[in-house]
Amino acid sequence: MNVTTIFILHGLVYAGLLFLVSSGLTLVFGMMNVLNFAHASFYMLAAYFSYSLLIWTGNFYLSLIVCPFLLFVIGAAIERFLLRRVHVLGHVHELLLTFGIAFIISELVKWVWGTAPLPVTIKGFLDGNLNLFGTVYPTYRLFVLFCSILIGLLMTLLLLKTRMGIIVRSAVDDSEMVSALGVNTPKVFMFVFALGAALSAFAGVISGPLLSTNTGMANTILVDAFVVIVIGGFGSLIGAVIASLMIGQLQSFGVLLFPKFSLALIYMLMAIVLILKPSGFFGEKK
Amino acid sequence: MEKRIFKSIWIWVLIVLVIMVSFPLLAKPHQVNLLTEMIVFSLYAVSYNLLLGFGGLLSFGHGMFLGLSAFTTGAMLQRIPGLPFFGAVLLGTLIATLVGLGIGCLLLRHKGAYYALLTLAFNALFYAIAIKWQKVTGGDDGLPIKRPNIHLGFTQLSMSDVTVFYYVTLVVIGCALLFCWYFTKTAMGKTVLLLRENEERMQFIGYDPSISRLILFTFTAFFAGLAGSFYALFFKFVGVDAISIDMTTTALLMTFIGGTKHFFGPVLGAGFYIYFQNFLSDVTDRWPLFMGILFILLVLFVPRGLSGLIQSLVDHLRKTKN
Repeated sequence: MNVTTIFILHGLVYAGLLFLVSSGLTLVFGMMNVLNFAHASFYMLAAYFSYSLLIWTGNFYLSLIVCPFLLFVIGAAIERFLLRRVHVLGHVHELLLTFGIAFIISELVKWVWGTAPLPVTIKGFLDGNLNLFGTVYPTYRLFVLFCSILIGLLMTLLLLKTRMGIIVRSAVDDSEMVSALGVNTPKVFMFVFALGAALSAFAGVISGPLLSTNTGMANTILVDAFVVIVIGGFGSLIGAVIASLMIGQLQSFGVLLFPKFSLALIYMLMAIVLILKPSGFFGEKK
Repeated sequence: MEKRIFKSIWIWVLIVLVIMVSFPLLAKPHQVNLLTEMIVFSLYAVSYNLLLGFGGLLSFGHGMFLGLSAFTTGAMLQRIPGLPFFGAVLLGTLIATLVGLGIGCLLLRHKGAYYALLTLAFNALFYAIAIKWQKVTGGDDGLPIKRPNIHLGFTQLSMSDVTVFYYVTLVVIGCALLFCWYFTKTAMGKTVLLLRENEERMQFIGYDPSISRLILFTFTAFFAGLAGSFYALFFKFVGVDAISIDMTTTALLMTFIGGTKHFFGPVLGAGFYIYFQNFLSDVTDRWPLFMGILFILLVLFVPRGLSGLIQSLVDHLRKTKN
């Protein structure tokens, strides 16, 4: 019983992280048709920024705010000055560009911070344990879970209740039509791209103390996030939520039950979903 | 007109052939080695470009075929004593082709971003297997390989000799490259272009895009596998790097640097990449960074790559001449 609870919680925590990363990815893809390979690099970059900021100031909460903001600016700049330039050349070029950016970011990180994994330790209230359902569980993991649920709720509110949200949702459906109705879609694209980068950065910061900060972290979560949006369906937020939960549990119980094949399980799930429903759970047929 | 173009191509082929054959007589062993590496990777890049440039399919899983074949070649040479050189090459290539066929069957309905994602996921899967399955792949340590000699009945080719290995590679890979080039000129090769240009229209004419995609995918898997086999034999070692996403990245970079619109662009790209890498790695440890910056600059400003640049230069010269 105890072990099961712990592993369910582990899975939920990972699902939270995965959701933060994949939600931006899926929205950007739904709107702009750009598969952003650099998305997880924002996650990694934020984790490294947070590491340096922690050494510098020692305040974790500060980096929770500063790093996503920094990545918001970087994301907006990348969309405005690089991605928009190659937009006319077609989707393959946009994809290649984000891929190149991801490549450069990973090399820069190796250059500046070295290739060794960096430990991030937190102090104070978050560093303890809590009693939960009769098991002792690290507070920090619960904090991560709490943060991702909070952000998920905020995003839902933003998308469902505000004018901006209506525009974004309709742009996912048909961006040309939205543009024809007089909305400045390039601006919306930039905003969503930057917001996605900021979300990804937030995930990066909170993942620092949880998983190790290393140069391979971007690729690890990128592949998982891709699987999430394939299973959930491109452009669907609710699909991303459900697929994240599935992958999270699969990841955590896979390690427990079949340690040798845990990595392959995710891909097997993806292959099954694709054979049964090629557009994913909530994806539209294109 | 058609005939004259054909003739001029044969003259070029002849010139390149003469240079390639006489190269080891004039160059130092390490240069011969470098050229061997370039030849191996040019087949890899050309096979990738058949997908990207000709078929319009962006794959992020090409490295798995190279890696699979390299690992099969290595593992078979280790397990089966007395396995001949071409036996090992054949086995490696065969496995890569079969896996390509299997994965191609799963992917044949997809294209665009789905295609990129799925191939990436499959590559990640094979990478995970290579790391976990230590009994066969050696895990993180990799597999050391001994190059077997080639027995020709009356004589024996010593494969440890740099020059001999160079000639064998040149002949085999050269033939494969020519075959790929011939493929793009056949009716089947033309349907691949249809795949890129207008799939709907292709269906109207009566071709099945899924089948064409499957054939193309398997075809490229075969040639990537052949390149992989020679990759393993060239380095006399296979590590998990051979099957990683980075290997796919390498193909992408080479192809894009060389230019995707021309058949021989990736050959140029592979040569340039290997040379540039060799040159930069002497100067700085951070050579991938410069490669990445070069890549971004190319995507932004020279989307047609080096071969496109040469093409427009030639066109310009012709214009001024007239």
